[in-house]
Amino acid sequence: MTNPPPATGSNAPSQSSPDRDRRFEREALPYLDDVYRFALSLTRDESDADDLVQDTFLRAWRSWHTFVPGSECRRWLFTICRNSFLRSRERDRGHLSLEDGNVEALAAIVIHAGAMREGVDGLLARIDLAPAIDAALRKLTEPFRSAVVLVDLEDQSYEAASEILGVPIGTVRSRLFRGRRMLQEMLFEYAKDAGFAGTADRSPFRENPDA
Amino acid sequence: MPETPAMIDCATAMRQLFDYLDDELTPAREAEVRQHLAVCAQCYPHFAFEQTFLAALATARSDRDQPPPERVRTRVVAALREAGFAPG
Repeated sequence: MTNPPPATGSNAPSQSSPDRDRRFEREALPYLDDVYRFALSLTRDESDADDLVQDTFLRAWRSWHTFVPGSECRRWLFTICRNSFLRSRERDRGHLSLEDGNVEALAAIVIHAGAMREGVDGLLARIDLAPAIDAALRKLTEPFRSAVVLVDLEDQSYEAASEILGVPIGTVRSRLFRGRRMLQEMLFEYAKDAGFAGTADRSPFRENPDA
Repeated sequence: MPETPAMIDCATAMRQLFDYLDDELTPAREAEVRQHLAVCAQCYPHFAFEQTFLAALATARSDRDQPPPERVRTRVVAALREAGFAPG
């Protein structure tokens, strides 16, 4: 052990390079598996994920002096990964005209009410959904995909997802709920295609669950 | 003595259903939703369904917990070293 960390715990560029690099190796590189899984979820392509992970760690290493010691390194790396992904796609981040979590939450209930009427809501308990969920996740588009991946697959809180995505919590909530609803619609379609519909009742969805 | 949760209607409960399942509500709001679900036969099936759906998604998460190919780590470390990374 040489070069103990300074009393301030700073990562400032003035710190000697080998020590800074050792801290990066010790604190950031162990999250390579998590970053790879997140990158693969975003890109849905192994080759693109490889590129994204490399870009993420190069950017993280160059920006290591901005990492606050003691804060959550995994979250910091996810933020860089997400930003790199957006940069690579040159994606417009603000094209949604409506982002209301309450509306999305109720919409999911309406979809489920319709599924109950069609007799497909019980499918989750009856069949192996893993292949269908995997296929649905692959089809899910941005920006809903990132919200679902972060909260439902990476087990991040709304607050953490908000920080990583750089959007307000209300926006995370809206995107997450809409993403879940889209997944559920795809799963119901999968069930119907697979012949799991229990009845011939094709009543339209109820407009209001309170009705 | 703890306060009795306020009674809320179905729409209010369902608007907060995902927040409830995600443990994102304050204790007071969580108690309101929990009480509503305990007594409302119309909302409970939605709760049960969404809970099952999120559990299925969590299973998809565990299925993905496989390490990346070794080539990824090798490539990342090589790129870092080429850029000047030298932990010694």
